[in-house]
Amino acid sequence: MLHSFFMLLTFMLLYFGMLGVPDLSAEESVVVYSGRAERLIKPVLDHFQQTTGTTVQLLTAGSTELVNRLRAEGAQSPADVFITNEAGALEMARHLHLLQPITLPTVATTIPTQFRAPDNSWIGLSGRIWIVVYNTNMVDPSTIHSLLDLATPPWKGKLAIPNASSEYLQAGASMVLAAKGEKTADAFLQGIRDNAGNEVYAKNRQIVDAVAKGKVAVGLVNHYYIFRHLGTDPQAPIAPLITDQDNDGIGAIMNVAGIGLTAHAKHMSAANELITFLMSSAGQEMFASINKEYPVNPSIQADPVLPPSSSFRASTIPLTRLAELREPIIQTIERLGLR
Amino acid sequence: MALGTAAMLTFPLLYVTYSALTGDLSLIPRLWATRLPELLTNTISLALGVSLTTLTLGVSTAWVMTRYQFWGRAFWDWGFVLPLAIPSFVLAYIYSYLLDTAGPVEQAWQWLTHSDDRIPSPYSFMGALVVMTLNTFPYVYLLARAAFQNFNLSFEEAAQATGATRRETFFRVSLPLIRPALVASMFLVILYVVSDFGAVSLLRFQTFTYAIYQQITGRFDYQSASLLSLLLVAFALIFLFAERWFRTQSRFYQTSGRVRTATPKPCSWMKAIGINLTFLFIFSAAFGLPVLLLIQWTFAAWTSGEMESSLGRYIWNSLFLSAIAATAALALGTPLAYLASRIPTRFHLACLQGAYIGYVLPGPVAALALLMVFTNTLPFLYGTVLVLILAYLVHYLPAGLQAMESAMQEVNPNLEEAARNLGAKGIRTFMQITFPLVRKGFSAAWLLMFLLCMKELPATLLLRPIGFDTLAVRIWLEASEELYQLAAPPALLIVLLTIPAVFLLSKKNWQAGEGSVQ
Repeated sequence: MLHSFFMLLTFMLLYFGMLGVPDLSAEESVVVYSGRAERLIKPVLDHFQQTTGTTVQLLTAGSTELVNRLRAEGAQSPADVFITNEAGALEMARHLHLLQPITLPTVATTIPTQFRAPDNSWIGLSGRIWIVVYNTNMVDPSTIHSLLDLATPPWKGKLAIPNASSEYLQAGASMVLAAKGEKTADAFLQGIRDNAGNEVYAKNRQIVDAVAKGKVAVGLVNHYYIFRHLGTDPQAPIAPLITDQDNDGIGAIMNVAGIGLTAHAKHMSAANELITFLMSSAGQEMFASINKEYPVNPSIQADPVLPPSSSFRASTIPLTRLAELREPIIQTIERLGLR
Repeated sequence: MALGTAAMLTFPLLYVTYSALTGDLSLIPRLWATRLPELLTNTISLALGVSLTTLTLGVSTAWVMTRYQFWGRAFWDWGFVLPLAIPSFVLAYIYSYLLDTAGPVEQAWQWLTHSDDRIPSPYSFMGALVVMTLNTFPYVYLLARAAFQNFNLSFEEAAQATGATRRETFFRVSLPLIRPALVASMFLVILYVVSDFGAVSLLRFQTFTYAIYQQITGRFDYQSASLLSLLLVAFALIFLFAERWFRTQSRFYQTSGRVRTATPKPCSWMKAIGINLTFLFIFSAAFGLPVLLLIQWTFAAWTSGEMESSLGRYIWNSLFLSAIAATAALALGTPLAYLASRIPTRFHLACLQGAYIGYVLPGPVAALALLMVFTNTLPFLYGTVLVLILAYLVHYLPAGLQAMESAMQEVNPNLEEAARNLGAKGIRTFMQITFPLVRKGFSAAWLLMFLLCMKELPATLLLRPIGFDTLAVRIWLEASEELYQLAAPPALLIVLLTIPAVFLLSKKNWQAGEGSVQ
C-alpha cells in the first residue's frame, strides 16, 4: 500500500510540476508582469489577445514587488514586458539593468520625451495627476493654493493620506523634494503626517470615500479615483482641485503608468507587438475610457469629464528623477515615521 | 533522508541569517531608532491581548459544553470549530467592511441609539484584536474541551467538600488543573498571531510579519526584512522552547488510579436559553455573519455577471496544490518522526528539532529565500509549482510533524520488536505494524497541513507560477482593491472546501501539546 502511495505521489508531483510551467515555447505568447490592478489592465490585454491571437500570460502583483522579483530572477526571468502604475518603478528597473531599449521607430513619434526613458527602455502609456480631493460642504477651494498648504496646522485632523509604502506618496514627495529642496520636503511630510494622524489609507479609493463621507475634509489621491467615485455616485459632495499653478509653483504632479521591455525578454516580436498595440490609438483610447487617465499619445483626447490637459500646467521635472530620489525619500519617510 | 529533510527545512533560515548579518550592520541601530519600538509594542500587545481574550472565550465555552446538558449542545459541539475554515484575511476583510466609517455596524448603532456616535475604527489594535480572537479561539476551545473531558472530578469534589464555593473551586482547582492545556493553547495562539500576515495587513496594523512583507515588497530591502525576521524567529524560538519545557513539567499533573470524568448535567431552560443566545452571538460573529455576507456578495456578483470565469481553475489549483503539499509533507515527515521516537540519538533529535524551525520563519521571507536559491542553483525548476510546494513544506511540515510525532510515541515499540523477532524486516514492520497504528494520527496531520496550505497566502503570492493563481491569491488581489463582491466567491469556496477537513479534525480528541497550528 505504501509503495503505491509513493508511486502516486511521485506521479502527481511530476504531472503537477509540468502543469505549473507556463508554455513559453509557443512563439505567439507574451509574458506580462503587471503592477496594475487587473481590472484596469486585463480588458486591454484581452482585447490585444483577441485581435492578434497572441496569448498573454499575466502575473499581477505590486510594482515594487515585481521589480524585486525581476531582480531576484535575473536572466531566468520568464517576463517579457513589465507594466507598472507609475514611472518610478520602471526607472528603478532600468537602473538595475532589468530593462532593454525598445527599438520600435513609432516610440519617438508617438510618446513625448518627458514620458519615456532616455534610452526608451520604458515608455509611459497613460498619465495621472496626484491632486487634492475635497469635500464641497466642508472646504472653500480658494483656500488651497498648493499641496504644501495641506501640511500646515489649519488642516490638522482634516486630511487623509496614503500609507508610507504607497508609490504615489513616494513619487509626490520626490517631486516636492526635486522642486523645493530637502527642508521643504521634510516639512511637507512631517506636516501631512501630523495632520492626517490616523487617517492613513492603503488605497486611493478609501481616501476618496473618507472625503465623500465627510470623515475628513481633504485627501491626496490620483485624479481618476475622484471621477470614478463621481461616476457611481454623481451626488457625492467631492471635487478635484489642481494645485501649485502659480508661476513659481511646482506644477501639477504628473506620473505615468507605463511599460518596459525586460532585459531577458524571450519573445521579442510578441512583446513589440504588444507595445505597439498599447501605443496605438485603439490601446490609448481604452486607457482613457476604462480608467479616465490622460493618454500620453497627444493625438488621443482624454475623457471629456476630466479637466483638459491644456487647462493646467504639469510639473516639468523629468519622471526619471523619481528613481534616483526614491531611496532618499523612502529614508525620509521612514525617519519621520510615516505609517 | 532525515538529515536531508531537516536540512531542506532549516536552509531558508540559514540563508536569512546570512543575508541579515553580511550586509551593512549600521542598519541595526537605524531600525532600532525608527521601526522597532512600535513593531515590538504592537506585536507583543496584540499577541498578549489575543491570548487573553481567546483564553476567556475558549475556556468558558469549553467549560459550558463539557459540564451542561442543554438543547442545542450537539450543534455547538461542531459549530465552534467551523471558524477554523475561514482564513484570517477573509475575516479581516469582512470586518473592515462591517466596522468601517458609515458601515453597517455604525449605521445600526446610530439607528439604535439615535446618535451620531462613531464606532472605533477597525484599522487599529481593536480591529486586529477582534478579528484575531474570533479566528483563533476555536484552537483554545478544542484543547480546553479535551482537557475538561479527561478531567478528574475527585479534585473538585474534594474542594467543595472542604467548603470552597463553586467559584473558588473553578478558579483555584479546575483551572490550575488544566494548566497544560491552557499553556499549550496560549502558545499556539501567540505563534499564530505573531506570524499572521493577511489579517494585520488588511487592517493595517503594524506587526513584525507585516513590516517584513512591506520591506521586501514596498522596497528592495531584504536585509532589513532578514533582520526583522531573525528577531521574530528568536521570539518564536523562545516560545517554542518554553512550550516544550512546560510540556515536560506538565507530567506532574497526571494522576494514577481511577479517574472519574465529569458528565454533563441538565440545566434549567432559562439557563439553556441564556447559553444558546450567548453561543449564537459568538458563532455569528466568528462564522455565521461572515459566511452570510460572503453568500450575499457572491450572489450579487453572480447576478451582476461580475463572476470570475476561471473560478474552476483556481479551485483545482488550490485543492491539488494543498493535497500534494500535505501528502509530500507526510512522506517526508514520517522518517523524521519515526527515527526520533525509535532511535532517539542526538543526531535524529536534532534533525527533528531543526525541522521545526521553518515554522517560525515568516512565510514571505522563507519564500523569497527559496526564490533566490532556486534561480541561482536550479533555474529550470524555478517558476514551477515544485518551488511553491517546497515553500509550503518548509512552513507547514512542522505543524503536521507534531501530530505525527505524538502518534508515533503512542505506539508501543514492543509490538515492532515482536514483529522483528518474528523475522520481519524494517520496512515491512513499519508498513504492517506501525503504519496501521499511526494511521489516525497521520491522517489528522495530513488534514491539518491540507487546511493550512489552502489558507496560505504570502508564499503563494511570491512564488506562484505565471497564470497560476489559487483561491487565496484571488481573494487577496480583489480584497486589497476593496472589491468585496469579487473577492467573495473564492472566499466562500475556500470556506466550503475546508469545512470537511475542519470537521474531521475536530473529531480527533485534541490533547494539550499536540497539533500546534499556525
